[in-house]
Amino acid sequence: MKNMKLRLLFLAILSLFVLAACTNSDSKKNDTTSTNNTNDNSGKDTASDPIEIDFWHAMSGTAQETLDTIVANFNKSQDKYKVNAQYQGTYEESLPKLRSVGGTKDAPAITQVFEIGTKYMIDSGFIEPIQTFIDKENYDISQLEQNILNYYTVDDKLYSMPFNSSTPVMIYNKDAFKAAGLDPEKAPATFNEVIEAAKKLKTDDMAGFSMLTYGWFFEQLVATQGGLYVNNDNGRSDTATESVFNGKEGLNVFNFLKQMNDDGTFGNFGTNWDDIQAAFTAEKVAMYMDSSAGVAGMIDAAPFDVGVAYIPYADDVERAGVIIGGASLWMSKGIEEQEQEAAWEFMKYLQTSEVQAEWHLGTGYFAINPAAYEEQNVKDKWAEYPQFKVTVDQLQSTKESFATRGALISVFPESRQQIVNALERLYQGEDPQKALDDAATETDKAMETAEKANQ
Amino acid sequence: MKKTYLHRVSLYLLLTFCALLLFFPIIYAFFISFMTNTEVMSGKLLPQTFDLSNYYKVFERLPLVTFLINSFIVSCTVMLGQLIVSSLAAYAFVFIPFKGRDLLFFIFVSTMMIPWEATMIPNFFIIQKLDWLNTYQGLSLPFFALAFGTFLLRQHFKTIPYELYEASRVVGLSRFAFFWRIVLPMSKTSLVTLGAYGFLTTWNMYLWPLLITTNDSVRTVQIGLKQLQSQELGTDWGVVMAGVVVVIIPTLLLLFIGQKQLQKGLSQGAIK
Amino acid sequence: MKQLTHMRSALLYLLPSLILFTVFIFYPMFRTLYLSFFLTDAKGNASVAVGLDNYIHLFTSSQFLNSMKATLLFVLYTVPLGIVIALFLALLANEKLKGIGFFRTIFSSTMGVSVAASSVIWLFLFHPSIGMFNHVLQLLHLPQVQWLVDPDWALLSVAITTIWMNTGFSFLIILGGLQNIDQTLYESAQIDGANYWYRLRRITIPMLSPTLFFISTISLINAFQTFGQIDILTKGGPTQATNLIVYSIYREAFVNYQFGTASAQAVILFVIVLFVTILQFKLGEKKVHYQ
Repeated sequence: MKNMKLRLLFLAILSLFVLAACTNSDSKKNDTTSTNNTNDNSGKDTASDPIEIDFWHAMSGTAQETLDTIVANFNKSQDKYKVNAQYQGTYEESLPKLRSVGGTKDAPAITQVFEIGTKYMIDSGFIEPIQTFIDKENYDISQLEQNILNYYTVDDKLYSMPFNSSTPVMIYNKDAFKAAGLDPEKAPATFNEVIEAAKKLKTDDMAGFSMLTYGWFFEQLVATQGGLYVNNDNGRSDTATESVFNGKEGLNVFNFLKQMNDDGTFGNFGTNWDDIQAAFTAEKVAMYMDSSAGVAGMIDAAPFDVGVAYIPYADDVERAGVIIGGASLWMSKGIEEQEQEAAWEFMKYLQTSEVQAEWHLGTGYFAINPAAYEEQNVKDKWAEYPQFKVTVDQLQSTKESFATRGALISVFPESRQQIVNALERLYQGEDPQKALDDAATETDKAMETAEKANQ
Repeated sequence: MKKTYLHRVSLYLLLTFCALLLFFPIIYAFFISFMTNTEVMSGKLLPQTFDLSNYYKVFERLPLVTFLINSFIVSCTVMLGQLIVSSLAAYAFVFIPFKGRDLLFFIFVSTMMIPWEATMIPNFFIIQKLDWLNTYQGLSLPFFALAFGTFLLRQHFKTIPYELYEASRVVGLSRFAFFWRIVLPMSKTSLVTLGAYGFLTTWNMYLWPLLITTNDSVRTVQIGLKQLQSQELGTDWGVVMAGVVVVIIPTLLLLFIGQKQLQKGLSQGAIK
Repeated sequence: MKQLTHMRSALLYLLPSLILFTVFIFYPMFRTLYLSFFLTDAKGNASVAVGLDNYIHLFTSSQFLNSMKATLLFVLYTVPLGIVIALFLALLANEKLKGIGFFRTIFSSTMGVSVAASSVIWLFLFHPSIGMFNHVLQLLHLPQVQWLVDPDWALLSVAITTIWMNTGFSFLIILGGLQNIDQTLYESAQIDGANYWYRLRRITIPMLSPTLFFISTISLINAFQTFGQIDILTKGGPTQATNLIVYSIYREAFVNYQFGTASAQAVILFVIVLFVTILQFKLGEKKVHYQ
């Protein structure tokens, strides 16, 4: 009996080995052929052999599905180039890998990097500015959304091709507004208005307002007051050396959140996108800040009427607008020229209004080419979801300034972490100015270290 | 030792209660994998129907079959490698008296205390220099030498009487023949245990495979789990849980088949 | 002469291990030590020698000290409780009953669930609005708990998850230890008329002590090296309450690109784990009862 079981186990393991051994040799064969393809296209490239390039991205979940379709369509649309879209984990996880192959011939032709990695990428020396190709070909980029280009243009050069772009919006529960006696068509616009509305909306089960504990939203609320994040014009006229987000505008934001936290009208749902979105659909919070990319999913998921509004701003200032978020596509230096060419062709393909329409509809990210909004399928969708228009209006009405172009610092990921920490401490009762000052000090320290190490 | 009826019933009740408590998260994941999104959002415990669409989606979205095969290959390779390397080392530690044996053994065991994450960065560069990114050897070779394995097998080999070794030398059996024909067959349980342990831990590895693969050709299933979760958009929990179920079924099965062996062998490593 | 041949053949058997250890453990360890005295540039190469600055910086940084505190707390939460639970289950499953094999299989099942998979499952259980835990609390008319968001709860929540994940492995080892205890010991006690508790205290626990020692050492080392569940459940938040040291190393290296300070943290972690293990051996060995 005992022996029987033992034998069974051995048999199971043995069969695994056999299975493994068979598949092993098979996949190795495939492996070598595929690597041959990518490596050999330098020399004996014939007309029939397409040029293959790698495209590293960080899109998971539904966005990955849409992206894979677009890439497949590109590969089908012509036979000169072939793009291999490869998932590399989150933005944070893909950067170390890029760093290890950056500047060599093994680097992927295109890499998707989040917006706050912009400064790092420019300094890294791994990349070829997109501007080179724009100049060479006199490619017309004026067709693209100006407010998105502003972010990725540094010293008058467009470094990377904008790709998935989103901005923050305030999403609210229209039914809850009605129940609280508020006008569901007129969302509160300023900090004080939000504070007052939150008081009215608050019930036993529902918080008035919430915001994901994420540095991005803080940056936005500062920028919409015209405030800077770091000195030297947000690091855009010279390398930033000191953070200034702990000034008046930053304090406004922290006081705004603190007020609601003290009132008991603020709901804290942590650092996870999914948690706060689920809280909204489960009617645990009436208003919250989300990415414009999440709007469509939210309208579908929520069992009530969903309103979308501009993000709030401080009462005594004028609304300046929003900074673009998301990621852009970078072209590698040091790879074969024809690989760069292929990458450039693919990037141009991505800009076409049909592809942008598909991307916009599939993911909720903005179309970087506004012509996409004129495509019939987009018009249909917008008729169904009029809330989409609010997100685009907010972006297009943004006034160009150093504040709304966003900050450029190489240690942005660390700084965001410090802001998260400061927000969490704020919610635990820490003094707003103190929490902000500490975050600023840590950010300054990180900038200083980075400066020292990279001289 | 006859137990009273009451005693037996209360034991069964306690056992069932603990089993339910412990197994609940797994059952829960299993149920959610059959739910539609609205059902998930309303916080139901049981799905209305056993709808397979989440499973279709998961296999459609990711090359899960490739991932599963890769996981099998890597896990089996590491398992074999660990068995060979560890048993050779353990054999030397037990049956060959050489100078500095205890010191060397201590150094071996002390490597158990080095957190893998602490050496991950340099290791990554080593693999890259060897040009082993995206290869099975890059995924598996760094794990062949396992201090825990050497330790476990040494404890077991020690139970084999040294006289047996001397006798075999007198009969003219070579050192390697003794290892191969006598020591290994006598340590079957420990070997199976170590094998299963190596298989499971490798199957469950996550950060390393993510770091050293840049395309799907050799990726393992754990990375697939990560790819199912959206970042800026809402997560489709039903599909994610379907992925979880697909990923844990092979290891659970292995565990169910080999549980008894595993437990026997592991315990032998624990006693001196 | 004989000594020499012994040496040679021993080396032959040890060679694979030695090569692999050198390449993948010792060399990286020294490299880490080396990097800990430098600042690193954008490509991850050592660029500026700073001596002990990285270490001084760490020991004066409230965030790192906090991370050490959180790690120690986490170890305290998970190790003793985890072992007690596993011991309880093992004692229960060691009873001679029909169908006990089924229960043993269930109790060991968490060993077959990967860190990534179990963290995802628990992430959902802890979900603030649609998770099972808050759902149950609501049904019982109890106040909701912000499991992963409230700094007072987050570390505890991660600890619960970790205990669950480790139960399978600890259970298997302890059960194995129990079954190795010589039955005749019990039989003589039975004749003396000793009750269950007396037997447990006087025979089972002392005889089990080597196993308990082994599992507590392994659990300690594992607890100090916790990573995956933090990454998926809390990302080190809220207010750094769950920023355990290995996660802090990961962030420093892969998010902040500071391999220098990351390496310094790794060295400190190694020293701590080594120290704790030696302490454990010194204190534990005395109490362990060998046959």
